[in-house]
Amino acid sequence: MDHNTPDAYIAFDRVTKRFPGVTALDEVTFGIEAGTCHAVVGENGAGKSTLGRILTGIYGMDGGRIRVDGQPVQFYEPRDALDLGIGMVHQELAFCENLSVAENLCLGALPGGGGFVSDRRMEARARQMLEAVEADLDVGTPIGDLPVAQQQLVQIAAALGSGARVIVFDEPASSLSHVEAERLRAHIRRLKAKGVTSIYISHDLDEIFRLCDAVTVLRDGRHVATRPVADLDRATLINLMIGRTFEAYFPSHVETEPGDEMLSVDRLASPGKFDNVSFSVRSGEVLALAGLVGAGRTEVLQAVFGLDPIAAGQIRVQGRPVSIRHPIDAMRRGIGLVPEDRKRFGLVLSLRVEQNIGLPTLDRRSGFGWIRGKREEDLAREYVKRLSVRPDDVRYETAGLSGGNQQKVVLAKWLAARCPVLLIDEPTRGVDVGAKSEMHALIDQLAHEGTAIVLVSSELPEVLNLSTRILVLRSGRIAGELSREEADQGAVMRMMAGV
Amino acid sequence: MLRILLGSQQTGLILVILLLGVVLSVFAGYHVDRATGDLVNNFLNSRTLMQTATDASFFVIMAVGATMVIISGGIDLSVGSIYALSGVMTAMVLRSVAPDSPVAVVLLAVLVCVSLGLLCGLLNGVMVVGLRVHPFIVTLGTMWVFRGTAFVISEAESILVPQSLTDAIKLSFGSDALYPMPMIIMLLITAAGAVYLSRTVMGRHIFAVGGNLEASRYAGLRIDRILVGVYVVSGLTAGIAALVGSSYYGSASCADATGYELYVIASAVVGGASLRGGRGSAVNAMLGAMLIVLIRQSIRTLHLDQNYEWVVIGCAIIIAVVLDQVNRRLTARKLAGAG
Repeated sequence: MDHNTPDAYIAFDRVTKRFPGVTALDEVTFGIEAGTCHAVVGENGAGKSTLGRILTGIYGMDGGRIRVDGQPVQFYEPRDALDLGIGMVHQELAFCENLSVAENLCLGALPGGGGFVSDRRMEARARQMLEAVEADLDVGTPIGDLPVAQQQLVQIAAALGSGARVIVFDEPASSLSHVEAERLRAHIRRLKAKGVTSIYISHDLDEIFRLCDAVTVLRDGRHVATRPVADLDRATLINLMIGRTFEAYFPSHVETEPGDEMLSVDRLASPGKFDNVSFSVRSGEVLALAGLVGAGRTEVLQAVFGLDPIAAGQIRVQGRPVSIRHPIDAMRRGIGLVPEDRKRFGLVLSLRVEQNIGLPTLDRRSGFGWIRGKREEDLAREYVKRLSVRPDDVRYETAGLSGGNQQKVVLAKWLAARCPVLLIDEPTRGVDVGAKSEMHALIDQLAHEGTAIVLVSSELPEVLNLSTRILVLRSGRIAGELSREEADQGAVMRMMAGV
Repeated sequence: MLRILLGSQQTGLILVILLLGVVLSVFAGYHVDRATGDLVNNFLNSRTLMQTATDASFFVIMAVGATMVIISGGIDLSVGSIYALSGVMTAMVLRSVAPDSPVAVVLLAVLVCVSLGLLCGLLNGVMVVGLRVHPFIVTLGTMWVFRGTAFVISEAESILVPQSLTDAIKLSFGSDALYPMPMIIMLLITAAGAVYLSRTVMGRHIFAVGGNLEASRYAGLRIDRILVGVYVVSGLTAGIAALVGSSYYGSASCADATGYELYVIASAVVGGASLRGGRGSAVNAMLGAMLIVLIRQSIRTLHLDQNYEWVVIGCAIIIAVVLDQVNRRLTARKLAGAG
């Protein structure tokens, strides 16, 4: 099948990009039709984001050609791409957080004269740009104060406002709640109705089936297929992405007989975050905390782990009441927290893999304040092997690992601490399909070995497949509990949204 | 192996220092020693080399502490003032107590000077952590407070220290009237700092906190304690430097070590410490300080216009840091190539 038809609006022709030591894109050739929503999928490291960045002028090419509307183009910087009407909504939003919405929107060309900025004209122009995405925002707000979903809208507005007819979305929904992601999809559909071409880079297969017209699959920097979404089903798409048949998206769940109660939380409350939250989890159980972003799931985990100084309520570990004021208290009672956002909370990227794995228990395993280097290395090696972290060199600097492998190191850190109670927050956000499935198998196995697990995840299939019970939070309160048998996507969604 | 050696920053610094040494030896010229009648190189002779090492030792001792602060992601501008305050107060205490035996003099001096340094550092650390003010501001404040206190209590006079203290630091092991004690202390402190940073739990915690404060909190580290700790160590090394310095020069005054804080920070940074935190090394800080002192020395030895000393040092610091970053980027690329 040749998709590089001459009439394709955007045509990639043998596009090649090399980074030192890796070929990120290897003669990638395909076409994107005008006015469609075109998905680009692939595992982490497949080259999706690189492709987006080349199209928007952030990276240069090492070989090949791009034609837009039949004309060969050459981009040296993002402005060149914008001049041709190609804009981007980044995975990590690129704004000056201290400046207002209006200032950010007009940053490229601040209105005014003689070196002075006219606030009035700037704000008027910003409002006009925001109308294009039907966003009703106070343009004077510092952009850092807005939630991520609204920041994305501002970014779309910025792209459209500078005349973009093509917008590249790089993992836009990865930090949004379900409702926000749905709203974003509605926006993209409206853009399509206006004739704007969207290129949608994503991990999330559900999204692609709901939103996109065509999909291009990349694997290890090579083009695998470009097909209309209507011709595909989930299994086929996954097979194309990973290049081998995938038994099932989830490991076959092993039912584990729950043991003793390990952790119980009674009327936990933290002003402004959550109130009257009670639950208990037994050895071998996976209790999922489901809810929309902002429902207080992460905050509950943080409070149990001693990261919320003003939280009140009774926590019992193995039946005994305990006072947890600091993560050290929680760790002493055998509670570990695998945090969301590995780069911010999970890892010290400048340390080596072994140093990260050893960090929480360094004190415990040292002798009179001296590090036992050999023991640290052996411990790290054991867990690197068990979680098959790649590369398996424990002396590797953590910053050099891919997202999925970094996530494994975060988990290894807490497995190495041998915590009988694990609080796991968004374990598969931003990791590729293969690593995701490994992570699922691991959580299942941990429970099977008797660990009591509290899982927070925004991915409903993950919640449904891994958990023994599901506790739904809504606006900081418990909305209800579902057993594995009663739970299905619809029931949980309804409870989360309160309808 | 060769590539690893060339890629390492330590080797780079050592090479530059050696190269500068060779250049100096070649261009320094010769003079005739009056006592022996031998022809002596103006740079490559034991006395000049030892003097250069002694000049470096005061910076180096402080730079070891300052490096830890920088690795933790902070900065300590008050080390020069801690030096002055502990020096002056120790001299005053010795003057008023005036112990008889030389051993008692030395012990009292060590006790007072080191504990004063510790206390000043503790004050810095407690304020940084307790008031949640940026360490730049806190130590900028205490920089003036400490020096001002030294000024007031000494009434701006230079205070002599007992001769027995000077004798102790000017212990000469050979017959040649060389005084290697400051250099020996410098090497010991650097070694202690290097071991502390690489082999102890506290040292590792400093790297972790500087690399990612939030992740360290989530790993259950006692952040406050660790941060107070680095300022205490920094104060401690300033106290030790003051002890060595005032003993060596035979007096202490409130104007001692003015501007040293910048030399000390420069040494750490030339030694590859990142002001963003998470990176640095005690041995490299020592090499950085040596390089700076050697550049200063070369202006004297080569009879260049001394008025340009600061201009040259300033340029050298910028060049050193830029080269280091280029080198690091190349190494990162090489790593990516290998992976």
